[in-house]
Amino acid sequence: MSDHPTDDSRGAEPTPKRRSPARSRTSVRGGAAGPRTVLRRARLAIVDGLSRPTDVYVRGGVVEGFDLGGAVDLELDAREQLVTPAFVDLHAHLRDPGQEVKEDLASGLAAAAAGGFGTVISMANTTPAVDDPGLVADLIRRAELVGQARLRPAATVTAGMRGERLTDFAALQAAGAVMLTDDGLPLADTNLMRRACEYAAELGLVIQTHSEEPRLRANGVMNEGRVSRELGLPGNTASAETIMVFRDTEIARLTGARVHIAHVSCERAMRVAEWQRANGAPITIEVTPQHLTLTDEALRTFDPVFKVAPPLRTSTDVAHLREALRRGAVDNIGTDHAPHTLAEKERDLLEAPFGIANLEVTFALLYTRLVLTGELPLTCLLHLLQGGPASVMGWQAPTLTPGAPADLTVIDLEGERPVQGRSFKSKAKHNPWEGEPLSGWPRLTLVRGNVCYDREGG
Amino acid sequence: MTGTATDPTPTATRHRHLLDFTAWSAADVVALLGRADVMAQVLTRTIKKVPALQGFTIATLFFEESTRTRLSFERAARAQSADVIAFAAGSSSLKKGESLRDTLRTVDQLQVDLYVVRHPASGAPYQLARWTDAAIVNAGDGRRAHPTQALLDAYTMLKRFGGGGGGGSERADPERPFAGKRLTIVGDVDHSRVARSNVELFTKLGGEVTLCGPATLVPAEFGAVPGVRVVTRLEEAVEGAHAVMGLRLQQERMSAGLLPSLSEYVARYQLTEKVMRLAHDGAILMHPGPLIRDVEVDSALADGPRSVIEQQVANGVPVRMAVLYTLLVGKG
Repeated sequence: MSDHPTDDSRGAEPTPKRRSPARSRTSVRGGAAGPRTVLRRARLAIVDGLSRPTDVYVRGGVVEGFDLGGAVDLELDAREQLVTPAFVDLHAHLRDPGQEVKEDLASGLAAAAAGGFGTVISMANTTPAVDDPGLVADLIRRAELVGQARLRPAATVTAGMRGERLTDFAALQAAGAVMLTDDGLPLADTNLMRRACEYAAELGLVIQTHSEEPRLRANGVMNEGRVSRELGLPGNTASAETIMVFRDTEIARLTGARVHIAHVSCERAMRVAEWQRANGAPITIEVTPQHLTLTDEALRTFDPVFKVAPPLRTSTDVAHLREALRRGAVDNIGTDHAPHTLAEKERDLLEAPFGIANLEVTFALLYTRLVLTGELPLTCLLHLLQGGPASVMGWQAPTLTPGAPADLTVIDLEGERPVQGRSFKSKAKHNPWEGEPLSGWPRLTLVRGNVCYDREGG
Repeated sequence: MTGTATDPTPTATRHRHLLDFTAWSAADVVALLGRADVMAQVLTRTIKKVPALQGFTIATLFFEESTRTRLSFERAARAQSADVIAFAAGSSSLKKGESLRDTLRTVDQLQVDLYVVRHPASGAPYQLARWTDAAIVNAGDGRRAHPTQALLDAYTMLKRFGGGGGGGSERADPERPFAGKRLTIVGDVDHSRVARSNVELFTKLGGEVTLCGPATLVPAEFGAVPGVRVVTRLEEAVEGAHAVMGLRLQQERMSAGLLPSLSEYVARYQLTEKVMRLAHDGAILMHPGPLIRDVEVDSALADGPRSVIEQQVANGVPVRMAVLYTLLVGKG
C-alpha cells in the first residue's frame, strides 16, 4: 500500500478552470511533497456534535494541517458538512477474480469510496478462491491501478475452501493477506479449526469466521421460526449460529488466536460471544447493517433480495444487537457487501444466492435509523466504522491529525434522499432499502489525498 | 389480456390471483364454492362443456411434475372452452441458470390470460404475480400453499356434512359453514402445502383444526395459530373429529432423521378403522394423494365407506372450474 501522489492529470489543464462549486483548481503547484489540496469549511466530529468550520490541508497523500493558508493545487468545499476519516470495512465480497459478472475490483472499490470507505478487506471466496500468494499479490497490484479505496485482501484458511488442508499462512501473509477466512462456508472440522488458530496465532494473523454449524443450518434459506413455518420455507435455526460461535470462541480461548466473529445476527450468539470474551477469549465481534435494520418478516414478500446468510432474524434479535451496539459490546460494523446479479436474485427463494449489496447505503442507513432516532451517538457509529475495525486488525485508528493518511470522507448529515440502486457504483443495483428516504449520504471521498468519489462530479 | 370478439362475457379480466387465502374473505370463498356446485351440474350433462371461457388462454406452468393436478386443471379449463397450453418448465431451465423472471418473460409472449403455477419453492407464484399482468392460480408452491386442494377438500366436506353450526338447522352463519366442525390432519404437516392451505381455509370458514404427528413433522409453533391445536397422540387427535385427513409421507424423511422408521410411524400414526371409531359419528377420511396404502392409511379404511378420497379427486374439476371462471370472468 504505497501512498503515491497524483501525477496523472497535472499539466492536462494548464489554465485553472472552475469545474463545480465544490471543486476548483486555483493554481498549479505541486513540488517535491506532491500536490496540495485544501478542503474548506470542514466540520469535524467532536463530542456532542461538530467542530467549527475549518480548512483541512492535504499534501502528498497525508493530512498536512488545519487553517494553514497558502497556495493550493485543488480547492474543495466541504460546505460546513461532516468531514471524517474514511471508513474501514473488514468484510466485503468484491467477487474478483472470477465472478466479475457480480462485481470486480474497479466497481467494488468505487462502491466502497462512494459509501465513504477508504479501506476494504476483500473476502476470499472467489473463483478461484484466494488461497495462493500469487493471487493475493495480483489483487493488491490491480487494486493500486484502480486507485479507489485501499484493498487489503483476505485469504482462505483452507485450500480451495474445501475445509481439508490449511493454506500457506506465512506465504499469504508475506504476499499481503491481512486476514484468513473461509467466509461463506463455515469450517466444519473442529480439529482443523484448532490447528488453523494455533498456526495463525503464531503469525499474528486474524482468523475471521462465518459461524454457523453446517449440518444444523442445513438447507435453510431464512431464519427458522414462526415466519418460516408459516411461509413453508426451510428454516435455519439461530442455534446453528449460537453453537458455532461457542465453538469458535472456545477455540480462540484454547489457542490464543485472534478470532473475529463475523456478522453476529442473533441474541443468543451475541450473548455467547460476549460471555467468552469476558472470560478471556481473544475475540472480536462484528455486526452488519442488515442484521441491525431488517427482520425475517421481510421474507413475507418472497423477494430473494432479503435472502442472506446468516439470515435476517426476529425483532427481538435486532433489538438485542442494537442494545449491544449502545453498550459498546460490538467491535465493528462490517458490511458483508455481497453483490449478485439481478437475474440471480430473480430466481426462486430456494435457488437464489445469499447476499445483500450495501457498501453504498451502510452509513446513511445506520445514521438515519440509529443516530437520527437518538439511539446511538454519532461518535459511536463513526467509531464502529473507523477505530473499531482498525483495532480488530491491530491497525492504527484512522485520524485526521497531521501526518495521517489523507483518507477522508465528507458526509451530508442534513439532506434527505431516497436510496436509488441505479446510481450505485456497485454492479448490484438491487437492495432491500430501495426508495427509502435516508440522510447521511457521503458526498466526497478522498483516499491517499485523491478524490475517489464526488457525488456532484460523478 | 385478450378479451376477443367471441368472448361471451365482455367483462374485463380482473387482475386478481389465487395465491393463498389471505386476500380472500370467507364470503368470497363461500360464493366460489357455490359456483362449484353449478359447475358440477355441467359435468353431469351429456355434453360436458360450456363456452364460458372461450377466447381465454390458460397456461399450466409446472416447474415440478404433478400429472394429476395438471390434468385436473386442464379438464377444468377445457370444460369451459378455454385454450390450454402446457409449459413443463421442469427444472431444466432453472438448471441452465435461467431466472424465474426470464422464464416468465418467454411464456408471457404467448398472450396468456391465466397461469396455473406449480413450483418447488414457496413464494414463486407471488414473485410471478409481481411480474405479469396475467392472473395466477397457485397449484402448489413448495411447502406453503395449495389453495385449490383446500377448496376441493372444503367442497367435499360441505357435501358430506353440510353447512351450518354444529350440524344443527337453526340460523347457520353462511360465512362460517364449518362452525362447530373439527378437522384432524395427521402426518407430515411441516412439509405439506396441503396442510397449510387446509388450516388457513378451514379456520377461515369457522372450523377448528387439530394437527397430529411426531414433533419432527408437526412443530409446536403451528399451535400458535388461532383455531389450531397440536396433539402428538393419534387417539386424542381423532377423538370427536368430523373429518380426518392423512398426508403423504415421503421416504426421504427417514434419511433426513425426521423419523426413525416406517414401521414406527405406522405403529403410532397410521389411520385405521379402529382409530376412526373415536371420531364423530359419520366422520370422513380424506387424503390428498398420492396415497401410500398401509402406511399412512390402512387399506380397509381407504376403501371403506368413510373414505371420500375418490370424491376429492372428482370434486377437483368443478372446484377448479369455479376458480378459473371467477378469476377470468368474475362475479355474475
